[in-house]
Amino acid sequence: MDNEQYAELFLTESREHITAVNQALLELEQGGGGASATAAVGAIFRSVHTIKGMGATMGYAIVAELAHELETVLDRVRRNELAIDGDVTDVLFRAADVLEQAVEAAVAGREGAVVTTELVERLRGMVEHEAGDEGWTVDAPPGDGTLVRVRLAPDTPLKGVRAFIIVQALGRIGEVTGTEPPLEEIQIDGFDADFALRLLTPSGAADIDRVARSAGDVTDVQVGEDEEHAAAQASAPIAAAPRSPTPTSVAAVPQGGAGPGAVPGAPAAAPARSVRIDVRRLDNLMNLIGELVIARGRLTQLAAEIGDAALEETVSQSSRLITELRDEITASRMVPVSHVFDRFPRVVRDAARAVGKQVEFIVEGKDIELDRSMLDEIGDSIVHLLRNSIDHGLEMPAVREAAGKSPVGRLTLSAVRDRSAVVIKVSDDGKGIDRDKVLARAKRDGLVDEHKTDLSPDELLRLIARPGFSTAEKVTDLSGRGVGVDAVYTRVRSLGGAMDIRSVQGQGTTMLLRLPLTLAIVRALLARVADETYAIPLVHVNETIELTADVVRTVKGREVLLARDEVLPLLRLRSLVDLPAYEPRSDIDLEQVVVIDVGDRRAGLVIDELTGQEEIVVKQYDAVHDGPTFFGGATLLGDGTPSLIVDVSSLL
Amino acid sequence: MSHTVLICDDAIFMRTMVGDILQQAGFEIVGEAETGVQAVEKYQQLRPDLVTMDIVMPDMGGIDAVREICKLDPQARILMCSAMGQQALVVEAIQAGAKDFVVKPFQPSRVLEAVQRVLG
Repeated sequence: MDNEQYAELFLTESREHITAVNQALLELEQGGGGASATAAVGAIFRSVHTIKGMGATMGYAIVAELAHELETVLDRVRRNELAIDGDVTDVLFRAADVLEQAVEAAVAGREGAVVTTELVERLRGMVEHEAGDEGWTVDAPPGDGTLVRVRLAPDTPLKGVRAFIIVQALGRIGEVTGTEPPLEEIQIDGFDADFALRLLTPSGAADIDRVARSAGDVTDVQVGEDEEHAAAQASAPIAAAPRSPTPTSVAAVPQGGAGPGAVPGAPAAAPARSVRIDVRRLDNLMNLIGELVIARGRLTQLAAEIGDAALEETVSQSSRLITELRDEITASRMVPVSHVFDRFPRVVRDAARAVGKQVEFIVEGKDIELDRSMLDEIGDSIVHLLRNSIDHGLEMPAVREAAGKSPVGRLTLSAVRDRSAVVIKVSDDGKGIDRDKVLARAKRDGLVDEHKTDLSPDELLRLIARPGFSTAEKVTDLSGRGVGVDAVYTRVRSLGGAMDIRSVQGQGTTMLLRLPLTLAIVRALLARVADETYAIPLVHVNETIELTADVVRTVKGREVLLARDEVLPLLRLRSLVDLPAYEPRSDIDLEQVVVIDVGDRRAGLVIDELTGQEEIVVKQYDAVHDGPTFFGGATLLGDGTPSLIVDVSSLL
Repeated sequence: MSHTVLICDDAIFMRTMVGDILQQAGFEIVGEAETGVQAVEKYQQLRPDLVTMDIVMPDMGGIDAVREICKLDPQARILMCSAMGQQALVVEAIQAGAKDFVVKPFQPSRVLEAVQRVLG
């Protein structure tokens, strides 16, 4: 194996661990201590430890060093020697960020580009200043007076002398009645790091502590007997809670719930048996099976023509096997959306902090699966939408309270399976989109009629999805540069999906992304128009009906379709591709209407004839410049003829 | 007003080094002594805020010098400069009245920390 291959493994695995770290940090920040905090700290520790080991093996010194320092801090937290507070979590969050940068930079061969020194210093500082008081290695000396235990820093020069100075200093506020080890031994370094003494003094514990520490090189002081001390310890923020959560608390983990107190991502009960496979290998497999699916179609057709029973049986058997094979390969490419969703709580937290808003982030449907490459493609778009919501949707706490809302904004990200699509929804309970403002802006830009008084959801989406269209008063770090929605819109469409928006002023905005499960293979309805066969992805097909005279009306000069008491726009594929109108061969030769839908938007698409259904392998094609925009790709049909795939969302 | 310092060491190298560290930290070096006897004399003349004292010096060692100085001024603030392995001697110096110590080779931060403790 060459180094590059290792590097890729290292990168993939480190990213996963950093995601886990961020997730656990969020839990730590939200959760009220106890067992969940202990589990979170443990998880962070393990991930950081793994990254350290891998980094060191790869020779990434900076990664290894940073991970090491982080690990040291975490170890102290884990042993309840360092309490978790806002400052500590902030540093840990920063450390996770820098560690991620360092990992990426190291793999890219420019490890030196990431400055970690300041952070490393801070982490070291945390350890030094919060040095532990666990595991005293010295017994209490006999005698009267208050027990005082002192620990010296590991690098104390002439620690015997230092201890002597401390004993002397304490002797000035009382009488030292005994030491452990005896003073003569202490003077000649006859102790490890801890020594103890008894002090008869009118001074309180705080004074004793201060005097001892001011004598130098002291990292810890314990005043009083062990019992007293243990009692004080129990009130530490992360108490020594039971290590293993009870079975009930694991079972009670809400799916994807990330609300306060929730414990998402509990450790998996059974270890999954798995191997790592390069995504490119899966892509190759997918392409090959795609070709095989096409060949199968052709083979089935040929076998039917030849009409040999034995041949047909063999073909149908291999056909079933190919279907199973395809299903397996498709399934192997599916990953739960949590793969990408898990890094969003961190994104939301940072974005909300940056603008001073309070956000409760809820994630639903984390176990819904999506094709790996689809998920990778859509991640950034979701981040755009989340940031948009935080920046423009949710109001400042004071504004929310004035409007009678909770000061904490609610932001929901959900994934739902819908037929052979997955719907991803980003929803906030913020101020909603100001339609008047959008309308005014649109009028100013001459995008809509001057006399228009309202915007439909469709029009709204189209407007805000225009490149550079933004009504934000100021550009912030997050969004408002007018590159948000249009980038998302374009991306979703290029993936064969569709986007929808719902916004109620004062109540919030919801963005819907509808995505096919996989990029490569889709079931399609084959529609013939003149001599061409077009493929319409079945995901977007609602029903098909015959185009009889009584289902067509003309409203305001435009044809509409009456389908189940609904009035839908009617589009004729013939006119879209500039062909003359259909000439029926007889009275009963009727055109067909395919009712297509994308979310709530529907229309009737008129074609000559339906010729069947087929699994098609979507191939990207280079559209002719200035050509029709409503084709989203091309495919080879079972009989070997090429066919264009209708991009339904662009028709609606 | 900056604190005044008397540096006592028989080696020019060490005097220069300690002097530089303290000067850079804003102290005023008011005198230097090469022997214990000189150290006591100069202390009497200069009454510095701080004395740095080498342990091994000709013509009265550092520890004896500490005793003499503390007789003159029980409040004298003396910082012992020692090498590794002089454990027992440093304890003796502390018993004699020195307030703290630093160990050669000197690290500026350690020297300044010790000085702070002595003056504080």
